[in-house]
Amino acid sequence: MARTLAMFTDTSLCIGCRACQVACKQWNELGLEQPDWTGTYQNHTHFTDKTFRLVRFIEEPGAKPNGDLAWLLMSDVCKHCADAGCLNACPTGAIYRTEYGTVNINQDVCNGCRYCVSACPFGVVSFNEATGTAKKCTFCNDRIHNGLGPACAKACPTESIQFGFRDELVAKASKRVDALKAMGFKNAQLYGADSGGFLGGRNAFFLLLAKPVTYGLPDNPKLPQKNLFVDSLLSIGSALLVGIGALVAFRGRGGKEG
Amino acid sequence: MSLLQSPHWPFLIDVYFFLGGLAGGAFVIATVANLIDSARYRDVIRVGYYLSLLVLLPCPLILIVDLGVPARFMNMILTFNPLSPMSMGAWALLGFSACAFFAALFTLMEDMGKARDLSGPKLVAGVIGGFFGFFLAAYPGVLIGATARPLWIEGHALGALFLAVGASTGAAAMALILLALGQRARQGIGAVRTMTVLALLIQIVAVLVFIASVQMSGRPASVTALGALTGGRFAGLFWGGAIVVGSVLPLVLGLVDLKRRSAALTALTSVLVLAGGFLVKYVIMAAGQV
Repeated sequence: MARTLAMFTDTSLCIGCRACQVACKQWNELGLEQPDWTGTYQNHTHFTDKTFRLVRFIEEPGAKPNGDLAWLLMSDVCKHCADAGCLNACPTGAIYRTEYGTVNINQDVCNGCRYCVSACPFGVVSFNEATGTAKKCTFCNDRIHNGLGPACAKACPTESIQFGFRDELVAKASKRVDALKAMGFKNAQLYGADSGGFLGGRNAFFLLLAKPVTYGLPDNPKLPQKNLFVDSLLSIGSALLVGIGALVAFRGRGGKEG
Repeated sequence: MSLLQSPHWPFLIDVYFFLGGLAGGAFVIATVANLIDSARYRDVIRVGYYLSLLVLLPCPLILIVDLGVPARFMNMILTFNPLSPMSMGAWALLGFSACAFFAALFTLMEDMGKARDLSGPKLVAGVIGGFFGFFLAAYPGVLIGATARPLWIEGHALGALFLAVGASTGAAAMALILLALGQRARQGIGAVRTMTVLALLIQIVAVLVFIASVQMSGRPASVTALGALTGGRFAGLFWGGAIVVGSVLPLVLGLVDLKRRSAALTALTSVLVLAGGFLVKYVIMAAGQV
């Protein structure tokens, strides 16, 4: 495996211009959609089959160091989890991990069962009715294999989205958190940077200025497949009860009229 | 605000979960009867094996039609992914179909007088198919438990519940057919009644474990989703339909019937079990995908 690539989104630098969202649409030829009127600048409310980058606009009272209302902006994207629920769930092998550690959906193999849509803890994977397949951020697979960074990172005018080797980006991000904390942003924190953390760390990680839940992100997302072992054991227990019960029921009736 | 997306699996998938469970349950019961006494329980075995094959026939079609690209259904059986219950389920469906086909074929050959006694080969198809049958009945529950949907991810007995529903509906459907075949075919119906009652008991316990495990997880999104099932828009269908009329009432009637052995009571119990078993699966699927 090549050295792991990552995207680091520093939300403290985001100005909400949505150049990333537009660049993503253009490069990946994602096409038009009906806008959602959310009451804010945010469009859409969540990821769709034609929106892989999504800038969230959140008004949070008291989140500024001086106690004022903070206008939190966050350019959200597929997290390319090191332990990915969608990849585990895929029954066709369409979802795969690239040599750079990113997670991709092979559009020529996906048969549109939608299991990955339900398995993503971040609501990233979306179903496209026209192609009948699941869609999500490709980490600009075509670009990174040709020496270019993802279109969103390239387009970002404030370096809020940075692209590079994961280990280097994580070191840089940690310093940035310390700097922000010194400036009074006491809730500044990294989300998904810890490679030993939940879902094995993620190859698209974030610097947030408030708690994850403020952005609608799960605090401690759980890998869906974590349930498999216990659920399977309970199923086997249930099967044993039914099986033994049937043996007893039919044997007990052996001697007399049923 | 939840950012999660729903797979929006249609009603037909609920129908498949119901039919697959019923086929698996009926097949296992027929196999156990064959194991104990193939001559005495001839009718139970015939009914079980024919029924499971018939009920199974629409299943692959339902699954293929539901795909975004139906022509690529083959991709499911070009991959073997033990972490994906859907992948394992596709294999189990394939394996079960083969066993159900041969079990029904051997039964048909006996019935048409082409062979005198095929209980040996039937036993081989039955035992192998029995494992697949259990798997087919249980895996949808494990499958939905291995998603990020708030209602399902914290619920821990869904596989056990779906398996029990498969067994109860399989037994109920067999009881109805045995009744319809008339007095001659009543040998073994008592054991089928016992199976219905036993499976209903497991079913009720599994539902309670499911509710308790979601409640005790303490995850706000999961507890809210559970609230929609037990106290919100699905509450009537869940408590009234799936639990009271579909599980508890037939359990009481079934227990009475174990002593009385009345055809009318067996028929009523079986119809309630079938309706209740479908409702349990339907309402959990619907409430989980809101």
